[in-house]
Order: sequence, then structure tokens, then C-alpha cells
Amino acid sequence: MKGYGKKLQKPQRKTVVDIALPFLLLFLSFLFSSIWILLMGKKPLEAYAALLDGAFGSATGLVNTIKKSVPIAFASFAIIVSMKGNTFNIGAEGQLALGGIGATLAGALIPGLPAPLHIAVCILAGALFGMLYILFPTIMHVRRGVDLLVILLLLNNVASYLLQYFVLDLFKSDNALVPSSRPILESAELPYLIGPPYRMTIAILFVVVAALVLYWFFSRTVAGYEMRAVGLSREAAYYAGIPIRKYTSLALLLSGALAGIGGALEVLGNYHCLYTDFSPGFGYDGIPIALLCGSNPILAVVGSIAFGALRNGSLTMQARVGISNEIISVIQGSLILFVASNYIFRYLLNRRRRKEKAHG
Amino acid sequence: MAESLVFGFLLSVIRLSAPMFIAGMGNMYCERVGVLNLGAEGMMVSGAFAAVLGSYLTGSPWVGVLFGILAGLLAGGIHALVCVEFGGMHAISGLGLTMLCNGIARFLCISIFGSTYSPNVNSLQTTDILAGIPLVGGFLSQLSPLIYIGVILAVVSWYVIFRTTYGLRVQAVGDDPRTVETAGISVWRLRYSGVLICGALCGIAGAYMSLGQLDRFFDGMISGKGMMAVIAVKMGKWAPGGILGTALLLGLFDALQMRLQVSSVIGLSPEMLGMVPYLAGIAVLCLQRGKSDRPAALDTTYLRNKYKF
Amino acid sequence: MGYAIEMREISKRFPAVLANDKVTLRVKEGTIHAIIGENGAGKTTLMNILYGLYEPDGGEILVKGQRVAFRSAMDAIRQGIGMVHQHFMLIPRLSVADNIVLGEEPHRGVRYDGKAAVQRVEEVCRTYGIHIDPKARVRDISLGMQQRVEIVKTLYRGADVIILDEPTAVLTPQEIDDLGLVLKGLKERGKTILIITHKLEEVMDFSDEITVLRAGRHVVTVRKEDTSIPELTAYMVGREVHLGGHKQPVDGSQVMLQLDHVSFHQKGRQALEDISLTIHSGEILGIAGIDGSGQTELTELVAGILPCDQGSLTFRGEDITRVSIARRKAGGIGFIAQDRRRHGLILDFSVEENLLLGMQRREEFVRRRFLQDGRRIREMAERRIQDFDIRPPLRTSRASTLSGGNQQKVVIAREMGPDPALIVADQPTRGVDVGAIEFIHNTLVEHRNRGGSVLLASLELDEVLLLSDRIAVMYSGRLIGILDAAEATREKIGLMMVGRRPEEVES
Repeated sequence: MKGYGKKLQKPQRKTVVDIALPFLLLFLSFLFSSIWILLMGKKPLEAYAALLDGAFGSATGLVNTIKKSVPIAFASFAIIVSMKGNTFNIGAEGQLALGGIGATLAGALIPGLPAPLHIAVCILAGALFGMLYILFPTIMHVRRGVDLLVILLLLNNVASYLLQYFVLDLFKSDNALVPSSRPILESAELPYLIGPPYRMTIAILFVVVAALVLYWFFSRTVAGYEMRAVGLSREAAYYAGIPIRKYTSLALLLSGALAGIGGALEVLGNYHCLYTDFSPGFGYDGIPIALLCGSNPILAVVGSIAFGALRNGSLTMQARVGISNEIISVIQGSLILFVASNYIFRYLLNRRRRKEKAHG
Repeated sequence: MAESLVFGFLLSVIRLSAPMFIAGMGNMYCERVGVLNLGAEGMMVSGAFAAVLGSYLTGSPWVGVLFGILAGLLAGGIHALVCVEFGGMHAISGLGLTMLCNGIARFLCISIFGSTYSPNVNSLQTTDILAGIPLVGGFLSQLSPLIYIGVILAVVSWYVIFRTTYGLRVQAVGDDPRTVETAGISVWRLRYSGVLICGALCGIAGAYMSLGQLDRFFDGMISGKGMMAVIAVKMGKWAPGGILGTALLLGLFDALQMRLQVSSVIGLSPEMLGMVPYLAGIAVLCLQRGKSDRPAALDTTYLRNKYKF
Repeated sequence: MGYAIEMREISKRFPAVLANDKVTLRVKEGTIHAIIGENGAGKTTLMNILYGLYEPDGGEILVKGQRVAFRSAMDAIRQGIGMVHQHFMLIPRLSVADNIVLGEEPHRGVRYDGKAAVQRVEEVCRTYGIHIDPKARVRDISLGMQQRVEIVKTLYRGADVIILDEPTAVLTPQEIDDLGLVLKGLKERGKTILIITHKLEEVMDFSDEITVLRAGRHVVTVRKEDTSIPELTAYMVGREVHLGGHKQPVDGSQVMLQLDHVSFHQKGRQALEDISLTIHSGEILGIAGIDGSGQTELTELVAGILPCDQGSLTFRGEDITRVSIARRKAGGIGFIAQDRRRHGLILDFSVEENLLLGMQRREEFVRRRFLQDGRRIREMAERRIQDFDIRPPLRTSRASTLSGGNQQKVVIAREMGPDPALIVADQPTRGVDVGAIEFIHNTLVEHRNRGGSVLLASLELDEVLLLSDRIAVMYSGRLIGILDAAEATREKIGLMMVGRRPEEVES
């Protein structure tokens, strides 16, 4: 894994191109997905209108969008942090699941705690499980140079089996309609920020706080500076006497913990128990966000809300226009491909600008 | 009785390792020309779905395989466009491709068949052409003809890489594209060819999984086989023989897991057993030593002059 | 005699610079023509245009009187132009013959005919009197040999004009002589040769005609007989420069750094073998040697980048053999790494962030033990930018946008700013323009004049001779001997650089 912090960051100071680019790429992936919608004989514009309406058209829609954006935001934080440490944590999906398992265990098995403390313990348990899950790949990667992406992608499969095992076997609830784990105790449930009928919990506050803390960490602390140095150039950082292995490990563990917290908040705030498919791929949603936001955690919150809107709105779209919400994966996959081709778009846009300058 | 048990087990090892091997063979070309392919998974999904679609539409499984190859080529073409033409990041492109192909396959599956499972279609039948061979004939005739094709591909690939001018150039471009360009060879054409061959082979591997092993497509059927192919290439040191060996090893664990699920000798739940092949893959990856055979320019972009700032 | 190559009014613009500004170059057939100029004068750009790697924005190229337009290297090769790049274009895992025929392989159908390849390579070698082993793997042969492989590669493709980019940079003095013979042999057989170099001595040795470029423009083309090294220097630089700083007598009695029987192994190879030396205060100790003799390993070992397998290091009376990079830095060892772009700088960091690199944990830049003191860091950066004349003088500009010379100044400002006792510099003037070289030399000598020590490794023998108080010569990881600057001559050092003992050299 070389230079993820570097490769994925903008090469120059911010220009119009940098600001316009993410929107252009998003637009292109919608365009690409329209082809498939058309192929199925449906109208893309109608579909996207329904999507937008579902995501932002009503107060309930808006609240649901924000709810969905919580785990996505934590997944994107996880990936951003790993990128800062010169790696790429593609395993956020798995860590999310492990975080959920950790929080469920702590939430269901530790009785008699006052609510704030119990919540804190559950979140910590989620973070710890996420961290433990990435510990082995971290050691293998840092000590032996094992390809992190491959091992993490495989581990995502393992995590999905672990989750199934946990929900269907080890910790299954005997009296639930849908297969689910045992529920957490009431003291571990997140309190509402806005009560029923909206049921918006304080989870979103965690997102905001985490974004601010991360931003502050990277821009103001010595350790943040050192981690950024490692992220941009392992070699130069080593020559400067910065312990690079320590920072790579730290970035990965922190990354795992953040994803774990995302999973924990899903359990504590939304479901109060675990399902085998409690995450429809939130961990993967974090990837394009982290890539598009130039690894800036505050921008990542905005990106997460956009992806939360996609997830949420796609349900309305499915119901109203009859387009499978799987189209979201198409949008995402093509978006990631467009992000990967980042360079060529930047080149084309810059060339156009240069030409304009030359003429003007 | 014991003999037939061994026989059956061997058969299932070969059946399960075949897709990893065929896709691994493709990935070998891809990595040898210097393009990392984490999108093998996506290419296989495309192949698997398109093959079923082809068989569903025409009734002929061989047309299905052809569809699978074309879909794999298309997916490979996207990866090549991003990594070779546009100077994109290989790993990210591969991930995006996998998500995209999974998404499209699921989307089409639901839109066309109304569920994440396709209906049963005509699948590939085993053939008796090799049954006449003494001793092993009976065994061979129980294998899908796509496995025969896979074996032929291995031999051909060995010859292509190590004995042809194309192979010489492929070896060279994987180590140092600049040198190859200054020798007057088109780096991009070579890289395109490698990625496209990979796409086609992954397409076959996918078709084998949906039409050779089963007779339908369902969401999640590839689940990690593509990543296993990537591991097989690394562990197999970028050579057909090594890849075959690693694929068989990985297939062994897969077969073991399946056998244990059926026989339930030890009281492990199916979910726990499901992890075994992946854990085996991880173990293989972690035990791998030495990177001297790795193409030196793997995972590097090489831009055409016209795209340089 | 006609012109083998004519380039008329060639211009090439890159986003930041005008690399070639209406350059005209005429090369007579059957001659050796040198193109000289400082770094950034546009030599390499011009040659890359001739070789079809870049398309010019203006001007025209004539080969043997015929106008040509090259869209790729392939076109140039077809016109009989071959190029030997500074960094060799060879595939280590393939054999010499495979490398030479790559792109025009003898074949039977799709099958690659390896035997025919070996035969053809042997044929070319016989014709031109060049000795190489076609069956050896490239990764097993020396750099001098690899260069011959490159030359044979161009000949195999039927090159009549061969461009060599800085051909002597990696060669030993003896190999340079051999190269001279090979080139003269080629000239006698009617080939035209273009050499890009900045080493004037060799220019006078090899060439018939010399073209000087400066800042992207053609300055002059002269015959060797009609010019001299001082004149060429003046053409190249355009003004007078004084290299080497002004040394003043200093008290050099104190021992600053002592290496005691130091060894280091890398990849099963003895990179440094039993090295003992002492550096005093107020002294510049130069290390001479051909590339890869262990100079870089030695400097990195002193800086703590590489571990010491055997022996010990003592710095100001303190054993630092096992001390970390960071603590060595803090204790007063500054290190100017050879590869500034990879090791010295983080190109995506701003100038300010780069100036802080390695210094971020110093008390003055830290508040409350874990926060950065933004104000102090800013002040430091502005002071350094001023003191070391870094241009543009903006602490927020990205290091990647600076010129090579200014990037090196950032590294030097960072390492020398806190006034360390010992400066370890590995090729500090590599790839920077003459103005920056002058500045770097002055800075190092001033440091010495203040009583500091400098350990200076350089591949430029002239630089070592110019700056050092004593000169250590290394060969193949061993220390061959140490000479006082007064008794050192080019010849003596040249012989020691290929492993001859100083005693042998004397006789």
C-alpha cells in the first residue's frame, strides 16, 4: 500500500476544478445509471425525482436521511483516518458488523448501569470490537507487508458469517418475527433528540463531534501532523525520525474503532438489536465519500448526508416508480470508477480552462 | 465405499478450485502487464449473470458461456479504460468495478426475474468425450467441459508467457513500461490486452460457476472467489503452475468445509464452517514469502503523453 | 560533410517553463557532438524531442536533410536515431539478448526465437568491437556493462545517430576511458554521436564539436580546438561564479564524531565493511568514490537511518550506536539526504510543514505537550525562508511547486537552521543550478568556519576537492584511505576510487 494519503489528495491548491469535480462525477454516475433504468423501460428523471422527494421532501424523510447518514459518516471517517496513515481500510463493512456485535453484547449483558454510562460502555465495546477485528490485518500488514486490501476484503466475508452466526445461533432471540439477536437493555438505548414521530436520536451529534475532533487532531496536534506526514510519504517521514509503523498501526486501529462505533450507534439508536443485514453496505458507502472529500472529515459529513439521502430516497423510488433500489449500487460503483479516473477529468477540465485563458 | 468417498472429495476439490484457477489465470495476465485487478470479483459476477441470461434467452448454455465471456470482456474493458487509458488508481477501480458489477447484476436480476434468484436455466452438461481414457476416463467425464478448457488454457498460457514474443513483451511491460515504450512497443496495447484477456477468463470462470456448477444465478454466489483468484496469483508467483497449485489448495479447504457441513461430524454451525475457505485464503496470503517475482511495475499508472499536464 | 541532424528553432513549453526557446542545433555526420548546459538549461528536453518522446511546439527537425515529424520514439528509431538514457532502460529479469531485441524480436510465427536473438547480438558486437555476454541476465552485470548493452541496443536497431544522456554519471574513471574508446570506434565506423553532459573535462576528451545551452536557449556552437574549459563555463553560466566558499582557519582539535569498525549488511551483501574514521570540529570531511561504493550507506548510518551491525559510533563523547533518528537529530546531527524528493521533503506538504519536519517535537514548537504551537512554527518558517533565501518566499506554497534548487534550500534550511554540531550531507548539490550550488557551498563552509563539522559525500570529485579539509575515499563498501586536502590530487583519488591502496598510489 503506497501513498494512499498522497495519491488520493488533491495535487494542487484548491481551484474551481476541485470544487466542481465531485459534483461532475456524481452527475456522471447518475447519468450512467440512467442508462440501466432506461433499459428496463422506466423513466430516470421520474425515478430521481422520487428519490429526491423521499430523501428531503418531508420532515420524516429528512430525519430518515440523517439517520441513515450516521453509520455512513463513521465508515467514511474510518477510511479517511486510514488514508491519513498511508493505508486504505476497505474493511469498514466488517468492522461495522463487529462494532454492532460488541455493542449488542454490552447492551444486553451488562445490567444495572445508569443510561449515560451504559451507552458509553456500549459505544466503547463497539469501538473495541472494531479495533480488535482490524488488529490481525494490521499486524500482518505492518510486520510482514501482507496486502491489506486483499486481507480486508476477505475478512469482510468472514465478518458477514460471524454476524450470521451471532444473530442466528449464538445470541439469537427466541421470540422475534424476523431472525434477530437478543435486544439490548433499555438503559443502553440512545435518547431522542427529536422524539416520536420522528425518533431522531442523538447519534447525529456523535457524528458532528467526531468530525470536529478528527479535524482538530489532524490540523492542530503534533501526532496529527506526524500521521499526515506518514500518510503523504512513508519514506520522508521515516527519514525525519517519525515512527512510521506506529502511525500506520495507529491509523488502522483508530479506523477500525471508528467503524465499530458506527455499527454500535446503529444498534443503540436504530434497531436495539442486530439483524444479519443490518448494514446494506454502509461500509462501502464510505469509500467514495472519503475519496471525494479529499480526506477532510467535515466535508465527509456533507457527503454522508448525500449518501444517506441516496439510501433513504431509493426506498421511495422503489415503491413509487418500481425501480429496484439496487440501482444505488450501480450509482455508487460507477461513482467510484469515476473517482478512480479522477486524473483524466482533472486533465480535461484543466485543459479546457487553459484554452479559455489562452483565448481570452 | 471409502474409495468412492475419496473419489467424490477429489472431484469436489477440482470443481471448487476450477473457477479460482481460471480467474487466477486471467489475473496473471492482468498483473503481468502491471495492472492490479481487485475487480476480478466483479468480472466473475458479470460472467456468471450474463451466462445465465444468455442461456435463459436462447436456451443454449454455450451461448450463455459466450455471453459470459462478452460480459467479462466488457467489465475488463472498463477496468482497462480506467487504469490503462485514464491513468486511474488500480485498487480503487477494482473495488468500484466489483460494486458496479454486483449492482448491475442484482438490478437486472430483480428487474428481469423479479427476485435475487434467477430461475433454473439450461446448464452445461458433462461430456463423455474423454470417458474412453483408461483409469481416469470415468473420473474425467464427471467434470464440466469448462474445466477441460481451463486445463488447456493453463498449458497455452505457460507457452504464451514464456515462449512467445508477446510473452516476452508482457514480462517486460510488467517490470518497466517506460523501457518498453522506448523500444517502440505500445505499452497501452499490451496492457489493454492483458486486462481484456483477464476479463474474458474471469467471464468464463463466472459462467462456470453459474452454468457449470449450478443452473442459475443468485446474488452473492461469487462471494470472494475473485479475491481468492488474486491470492492464487500472488501465491503462485505469477506462473500458471503455481496458480494451479494454490487454487487446488484453496479448493481443498472449500471442499472440506462443504463436506463437513453435509456430514456434520463436528458440531460446528454452518456459519462457522462458511468462514473456513476465507480464513484459509488469509492464511495462504500471510504465509507467502518473498516478492522477487512480483512484476516491478504492478499497480503503477503509465500515462500517454497526450494526457500529461 | 552533411548534417546528420538539424533542429531548427525548436520551442517547447511546459506549464511552468519554456524549456526550449527557438533552439537550433546542427550536428555533422560522423562526429561526436556534445551538448552542455546547467541543470534546467533544456538539454534533455531537446534530446527527448529529437527522440520523439516530446512533440515540439515549434520548429522543425531534419534528418540527413529530410524533414521529419516524430510522433513517438518509434518514428525516431525508424529514422536511425537511438538513445541511451541516463537511467538505463533495461529489464533486470530478462537476459542481455532479450533486452536488446525487445521490440524487434526474431520470431517464428508467434514463437520467440531466443537462439537467433543471441546470434544477432553477437553479430552486432563483432561488427562494432563491443564485448558483452548476451546470455547473462541484466540484473547480474555491472553498470558499465549495462551501458554497453544500451549502446548495442541502439545499434541493433540500425541507429546512425546515438544520443547519450549523461553517460559518465555512473561510471568509474576506467569505465569512462573504455566508453571513450567505444565511442571513437563507433565514430570511425561512420556513426554520429550526441552526448549530453555537464562535465566539461569529458567534453574536451570526447567531442569534436560542442553546443552550449543556457536557460532554454542556444548560446554557441564551437569546435573543441577553438575553446577552453573556462570559456565554456562562462557560456554555460552567463556570469562568474565562485564555488567552494571562503575557508577560514578554525580550531579543529575537538573530536566530533568517531566511527569504530562499523559494518553494515544489506540483502546479504556487505554494504559497509569495517569503517573507522574521525571527524573533528571545524572540519569538512569529504567522501569520494564511484556511485554505489557505500557513501550513501555511510551517511545514512551516521544519521541513524540504517542500523549498525557491528562497531560503534561516538558523537561528542557519547555512544550513539543504538540511538534513534529522532534523538540523533535532537542531539545535533543534521542530515541532508541524497534524494530530496523522496527522503528530504514531503512534496504535498507546504514549505512551512516541511521546515518543521523532524523538528515537530522540539519544545519550542509544542504547547501542552501535544498541541502544535502555530505562532512559533510560523515565525520559524518565516525566519528560515528569509535566512536561506527560499523563493518564492511563501510558507504556504507546496514544496512540489518549488524548483529543485529551492527544494534543496528548504531541506538545508531545516537541517542547518537549528545550527547542529554535525551536518551529514549526501550529494547536496545534485541536480540544482549553479546559483544554488554556490549558495550551498557557502553555507557548508560557513558552518565549518563557525566550528561545526561536515560529513560530505559527493560523486563530483571536483566538489569534494574544493570543499574538503580531508578526503576519505571509499570503494566497494570499504574505506581505502584518508588524504589531507593538501596532498590529494585527482589522479591519486581516481586510483583509490577503484580500490588501489594509497601506498600503491604513491609509488
